[in-house]
Amino acid sequence: MAIPFDPSLSNDEILMELFLPIAHMDVNIVLISLYGVLVGFLSGLVGVGGGFLITPLLIFTGVPPIVAVSSGAAQMAGTASGASYLHWRHGNIDFKTGLVLLVGSWLGGGFGVYLAKMLLRAGQFGNVVVFLYVILLGFIGVSMLIESLQAVIRAGAPAAGDAHATAAPRSLLRTWIQRLPWQTSFPASRVRMSAVGPLVLGAAVGILTSLMGVGGGFIMVPVMIYVLKMPTKIVVGTSLFQLLFTTAAVSVMQAGVNHSVDPFLALILILGSVLGTKLGTRLGARLPAEKLRLILALVVVAVAVKMIVTLVIPPSEIYDMTIEVR
Amino acid sequence: MTRGLRCLFLVSAWMLQTPSWADEPLVVAPQTSQVNITTDFAGSDLKAIGAMDGPGDLIIKVVGPQQEATLSRETKLGPFWVGGDIVKMAGAPSLLFLYATAPIASILPPAEQQKYGLLLEGVPVRIEPQLTAHAADDWRKAFFRLKERQGYYHEDDRAIRVFGNRLFIADMRLPGDLQIGTYTVETLLVKSGKVVGHNVGNFRVRLSGIERWVWNAAHDYPWSFGSLFTLAAMVLGFVLNAIPYRRR
Repeated sequence: MAIPFDPSLSNDEILMELFLPIAHMDVNIVLISLYGVLVGFLSGLVGVGGGFLITPLLIFTGVPPIVAVSSGAAQMAGTASGASYLHWRHGNIDFKTGLVLLVGSWLGGGFGVYLAKMLLRAGQFGNVVVFLYVILLGFIGVSMLIESLQAVIRAGAPAAGDAHATAAPRSLLRTWIQRLPWQTSFPASRVRMSAVGPLVLGAAVGILTSLMGVGGGFIMVPVMIYVLKMPTKIVVGTSLFQLLFTTAAVSVMQAGVNHSVDPFLALILILGSVLGTKLGTRLGARLPAEKLRLILALVVVAVAVKMIVTLVIPPSEIYDMTIEVR
Repeated sequence: MTRGLRCLFLVSAWMLQTPSWADEPLVVAPQTSQVNITTDFAGSDLKAIGAMDGPGDLIIKVVGPQQEATLSRETKLGPFWVGGDIVKMAGAPSLLFLYATAPIASILPPAEQQKYGLLLEGVPVRIEPQLTAHAADDWRKAFFRLKERQGYYHEDDRAIRVFGNRLFIADMRLPGDLQIGTYTVETLLVKSGKVVGHNVGNFRVRLSGIERWVWNAAHDYPWSFGSLFTLAAMVLGFVLNAIPYRRR
């Protein structure tokens, strides 16, 4: 006979439990704070947003995927605001490009939120999120692993990697974007291109934010640098500006449409990630860049492998129950 | 733990009618009329104290408010196990605890168990969409199995202590994650395979404090709640990240 709950929990263990009103579950407050610290730490260490790690970690803990994705968006809006302000003060934001990106990402984000609602109704949201993450993390992790292993092996010759990267994806996409209508000048970035390019890029990132709780910097930054040919300094500030207002809009829409933003969860993650970012930034200044990228690649690959394992190993119970919380 | 984040459940008084001890074979009284549960809550102990008019067995049934659940069944898609069919299970109680002084099957015949709803897997549950009897049976069994595994359907024949064949104390433990609503507590006195005493009471569980406020705001005013909270998160992030740099 099943036991209602574990009566052997000590008082200390019980004190660590926090009830999340929207997720309608108890979580260990230390564990969730550590997730925030870990993601902030990676962010400070290697400059990635870390949204792609928060969502899978929360799902592993038992947080419903839609609450994990939505609260992750709110957390990113929180952590991106301070960084965006600093970039704005340094004049690193191209507001014209940023606004076109935002229009795209708001449209994409809105579409993504309603897509999430439809998938939730069909009971397929969890499947779609997990598969998107396996593809995304697998691709990013393996690419980073190969690249950083090569860099570590070639230690001392980092310039070769940069030259290779800049030469790489120029190609057809750039030519295609140059032929699109609505050619516009973006003076802050010193480029002239079709507004359709950043609009479509923003829309793609907006959909990813709604479905996966990620900021999308891993797509946006390389596309802006290599395809749209924007200066790197402006790219970082502008993508953060776009990320801030996209995640904020998605957070509002997820709360409005799916009632799925858990404020306690998001607040703990924000506090943890602020602390983690400060630690990561300090340590990052002391460690060599290629080794940092290798650490991140290993973390990403480990999360992807864990997700694949849960998909491939036959479950001990093939039925799963979700309670309709009222 | 921040006091402001505390979750408060109120378990209100069992609305017991209190018959005189001389007339009734069974009298039950709750020891606690109100329980305050905070965020560090991982379940609550409730006690019921009562008296019976002589040797016999006791059964206490705690039934939670009805709750809708969605059940999904994983299927194999190539090498992957993914969520496949889903059904809605409606009409079943969120919680069903059966406490007794001995295994219920040994003190009451099946017909009586059925009559008083004392069979864990005999709980009526409505499955949507309608399925064939065979298919519905698989889902029903899975539902009860998961409910038992998660600790919401539970039978315990050692939770009631009887003193001198007259007085009894029932120690009942409620899990931390409770459905909000009214819970009924039914106490049965059994002698020679028959129910000779019957007492029904109830208590209410409601979310209160900041958790209740958050829940209501997120559901009653979702857009305002989402906008204000997101703005608050942005301001918090700004204060924590940007202000220390400004001072440098």
